[in-house]
Amino acid sequence: MRSRAWCAWLALGALFVLFLTAAGCVRRPESEPITLVFKYSRILGKGDPVPGLLREFEGAHPGVRVKGEALPWTSDDQHQLYVINLEGRSPGFDVMMLDCIWVPEFARAGWLVDLTAQLTPDELAPYFASAVTAGTYEDRVWALPWNMNVGLLYYRSDLLARYGLRPPETYEELIAAVGRIRDAERNPALEGYLWQGKQYEGLVVNVLEALWANGTGLFGEDGAILPDPARAADALRFLRRLIETNVSPAWTTAADEELSRRAFGDGHAIFLRNWPYAMDLFEAPGSAVRGKVAFVSLPGRARGAAGVGSTGGAHLGVSRRSRHPELAVALVRHLTSRPAQRAIALSAALSPTRRDLYHDAELVRARPGMPRLDELMMAGRPRPVTPAYLLVSSTVQPEFSAALVGVKSPERAIADARARLHYFLESLR
Amino acid sequence: MTGREAVNRRHGMLLMAPTVLALGTLTVYPGIWVLWLSLQHRIPIFGVSRFAGFDNYAFLAFDSRFASALATTLIFAVTSVALEVVLGVAAALAIHSLRGGRRVALSLLLLAWAMPAVVTAKLFEWLYHPTAGLLNVALGGHALNWLGDPRLALPAIVVADVWRTMPFVAVLCYARLLAIPPEVYEAAQVDGAGRVATLVRITLPMLGRILLLAILFRTLDALRAFDLMFVLTGGGPAGTTETLTVYAYRALFQTLQLGFGSALGVVVFALVMTVAWAYLKLLRTSTVTA
Repeated sequence: MRSRAWCAWLALGALFVLFLTAAGCVRRPESEPITLVFKYSRILGKGDPVPGLLREFEGAHPGVRVKGEALPWTSDDQHQLYVINLEGRSPGFDVMMLDCIWVPEFARAGWLVDLTAQLTPDELAPYFASAVTAGTYEDRVWALPWNMNVGLLYYRSDLLARYGLRPPETYEELIAAVGRIRDAERNPALEGYLWQGKQYEGLVVNVLEALWANGTGLFGEDGAILPDPARAADALRFLRRLIETNVSPAWTTAADEELSRRAFGDGHAIFLRNWPYAMDLFEAPGSAVRGKVAFVSLPGRARGAAGVGSTGGAHLGVSRRSRHPELAVALVRHLTSRPAQRAIALSAALSPTRRDLYHDAELVRARPGMPRLDELMMAGRPRPVTPAYLLVSSTVQPEFSAALVGVKSPERAIADARARLHYFLESLR
Repeated sequence: MTGREAVNRRHGMLLMAPTVLALGTLTVYPGIWVLWLSLQHRIPIFGVSRFAGFDNYAFLAFDSRFASALATTLIFAVTSVALEVVLGVAAALAIHSLRGGRRVALSLLLLAWAMPAVVTAKLFEWLYHPTAGLLNVALGGHALNWLGDPRLALPAIVVADVWRTMPFVAVLCYARLLAIPPEVYEAAQVDGAGRVATLVRITLPMLGRILLLAILFRTLDALRAFDLMFVLTGGGPAGTTETLTVYAYRALFQTLQLGFGSALGVVVFALVMTVAWAYLKLLRTSTVTA
């Protein structure tokens, strides 16, 4: 009996020792070369240009290896991965690709290296001002703009030309054009205007654009929440009417960027609101709408403001937990440099954040829309720059969606969104 | 207590120690921590960290989004589990009555279950695709807005869940069917019982306990349902497919409201524990009577 007890103790002890040695083995020897880890989401297109850019950096910095690690596909998953690792103080990566809406949040949380002191005075001048703003929080720069987005109105230039129509400047003109073309085409499969109405971040972007076109916004100049509820409700009612009157299909309430992009790309719609990446796909060989698509600024409202597209894009920041912050900053500079952004724009459907590239001869030859895109990017407006952005977005999403599917009246949805935002933002003080 | 019993007891405790330790550090400690968090306003990014008492719970009591998520969770759990049990038993009986090809049938059935939930969700995303989806193409001109209509979205997700987890119920039942001795059926036949009588009086009662177990597992899973709605609808439209765990995820991981999110987590935990306790009680009484 006694001997069995000993055996049990011995076995437990052995397990414990084994566990400790295993844990010890994980620790790396010190003599290895320096390795930087770059987290980014793989770039679709003719080929991912990033590995080549990383090798270039390694060539210029002997003894340094850079590992590019893929982020999860969806923005939600990427955010979660960052939050868990950064809140858990993990030094697992050095340079991070960040959705521009996260920068203030991560800066406020103390997860990013403050880049301000390391920048030369005119280093930010070549970038779009709104992209620089998105990477700035409390007058400090936390991330450099890497690629840029803006909401655009795509239209079928062949169909508009057939009926002598000019691209619409207001939604009222757009609706009239949809009616005119559909009456004449007699094609039941041809939808009017596609946009993103699924309950997700894209819905917030689409509603924001509708609010701006109606002369209001999510926050007032003074930070007031939904400062003009009547105008905001009117904007929501307008979006709902688009679906009710079949200008936009019923499935708009389930549509994200890709769903709407595919339908338009298959030739099943006249107008589409989407980001610049879609143009490359429409112009790809074998595309059903190749040579039949053009883009303009999003429409405004007849008695409202001019149309403005929401900006978006990705920034590059350095983790506060990085063991080699100077090298990491150098890598950020390398990847956001003019040659790097040029290489990315040439091989992938991403738009640069440096203005002069939009007038670069070779790029314009590859993408004739670039100069026009520059204008629209300049006119674009960022989503509210606040560290509480995701809280704001996830609070208003179900309310906006409820108004679109008709579960709540627009007035009620706006009132509920205001009350909830008020409660949650108050709790941050 | 004799000396030998005392030694045995000591051995028993010693051998239990690693399990108790592991459970303690991995379950009890975080559980208590979540409970503690739920009594606070804690949002690390904004440096908010103060005791809130029952504030978070008080807000939940009047939170329409919480009420909707609770209702969605319960409706989803009840309908999906009910359908899974009915279809699972039917599938088990069907396979049991096959003369050949049982193995193939079982493998095909298990294929659906073996698939990761996210893959299933992606698959159904294509089936439900408004313009190119198989369902709408099959329906011809009557294109339905599966995931964008507040009346259709939850049923559409229930169907996906039933497709995915019905095989689990079917396999459990099939195993039980194999264990029913043929003599029982022979005796029933001798007594002149028809097919329906045999099914209702013999087969189903014999399946009773295993079904209860299957229902227990499935209900607990369904109450914590997350991945299908997260991938297919993100909780929309109008929050009609947002379950409590999706709401908790948004609060905890997306917006980092650790206190409020923990309160949601505690509610889910309480709900699951209550249901588990009720089932276990039922299981115990049925053991006594069986």
